Amino acid sequence: MVLLDGAMGSLLINQGLPPGTPPDMWNVSNPEKVQNIHQEYFNAGSDVVLTNTFGSSRLKLMAHKHGSSIEDYNRKAVENARKVCPEKGSIAGDIGPSGVFLPPVGHGTIEGFEVNFLEQAEILAKAGVDLFFIETMVDLKEAEAAVRAVKQNSKVPIFASISYQKTKRGYFTIMGNSVEECINSLQDLEVDAVGANCTIGSNEMIELISEIKQYTDLPIIAKPNAGKPQLVKGKTVYQATPVDFAKDIKQMIENGARIVGGCCGSNPEFIKEINKLIRR
Amino acid sequence: MSFPEKCKEAILAGDLNLSKNLAQKAIADKLDINATIDTFSLAIREAGDLFEEGEFFLPELMRSAEAMKAAMTIFEPIISEGKENRLLGRVVIGTIEGDIHDIGKTLVASMLSAEGFDVHDLGADVPISKFIDKALEINADIICISALLTTTMIGQKRLIDTLKERNVRDKFKVLIGGAPVSKKWTKEIGADGTAENAVSAVKLAKNLLGL
Repeated sequence: MVLLDGAMGSLLINQGLPPGTPPDMWNVSNPEKVQNIHQEYFNAGSDVVLTNTFGSSRLKLMAHKHGSSIEDYNRKAVENARKVCPEKGSIAGDIGPSGVFLPPVGHGTIEGFEVNFLEQAEILAKAGVDLFFIETMVDLKEAEAAVRAVKQNSKVPIFASISYQKTKRGYFTIMGNSVEECINSLQDLEVDAVGANCTIGSNEMIELISEIKQYTDLPIIAKPNAGKPQLVKGKTVYQATPVDFAKDIKQMIENGARIVGGCCGSNPEFIKEINKLIRR
Repeated sequence: MSFPEKCKEAILAGDLNLSKNLAQKAIADKLDINATIDTFSLAIREAGDLFEEGEFFLPELMRSAEAMKAAMTIFEPIISEGKENRLLGRVVIGTIEGDIHDIGKTLVASMLSAEGFDVHDLGADVPISKFIDKALEINADIICISALLTTTMIGQKRLIDTLKERNVRDKFKVLIGGAPVSKKWTKEIGADGTAENAVSAVKLAKNLLGL
């Protein structure tokens, strides 16, 4: 069983990251705050923390007009995690979507995805991550491009996680990729773990994990949101409590999940609760 | 296959060329343009239903909307000559400043435009003043403002407050969208509505304008 960490961006916002600023910027301008959050997750029981590089690919940074900082943001992110990483802990180089879509939705290209992720993966690999965590992908083609890019740069394990929504016909990405299609393709690319994160809350992810289990013997990742965000008196509040969330995670483990953690809205309390349930 | 069936096929298959050709044929054969547009509209609504049922996804719905727009472009000269008044309303749409998520907003823009709204898409990361200036410039009926983050959602409130300060709140209906947007938030900030998805957004826009 591997315990991941929880959200990063929302914790940085609580500490004063201005709205609209890419959280990745704080790897350089407020490294101690990023380090503290990693430290809190390790203290809570995380075996693996994800670098604060979810949006640190060039295409995503360019949308924020931070494209020229790509090298610094990624390298410093790994340094920040390494600084607080205990001996038995691991650091995953986090790679999120580019924010660009293929036609007819947008004007992206698969080659563009590959160039984008090759650059980020190379910096993260050089900085010395222990594994890669490709996550929140809503287009299988983009996820595949990210996996290929990482493979060209590194031999460390790759965890690949897709973001599914629940439709009347079951779980699909917003681009219409089915669970079976995603798992088969990622397995063919020889990733080391497959699974799901973001978009849905922990209660909705339980059934999804059973479906994923039907198609793979690889370790399964489950990293749901802490419910849906709501703005209450100017503060962002997520519906799920750490205790309920951890119970759902336990159910997902029974359904086959082996690598678990939290996505949007979670925090070290959620990880602590999961730790209590799985390490008794 | 009958002509209306072909129109439906063109939209549901997202075939831009076919829908353009059919629109041109309708004009050349002097068919009733309003009836032809209605046929296309029914098809785009069916695409919307398929999306809600989980049969269509983002790419299929986008392609259908593009095919609809392609047909409407052919009809446009006739419509603007005033012979057939089909314009449902004018819309300014964008994602709030500080937020670069634009996929939901783009889909709503495409669907509104496919249904016959004149849509001005300002893109993502758009300052409040730009929404208002553009809405005043084109004499918009509706302003649609999207925010995917709870941290940028506050910009939706700022838009409405700024409209009030500039004494132009009554000129526009304001629709808000984005994953964290709730009915409660809509009410709290005094917006005119929100919708679960792009298909419902079009229905809501039409309702608000009494169409």
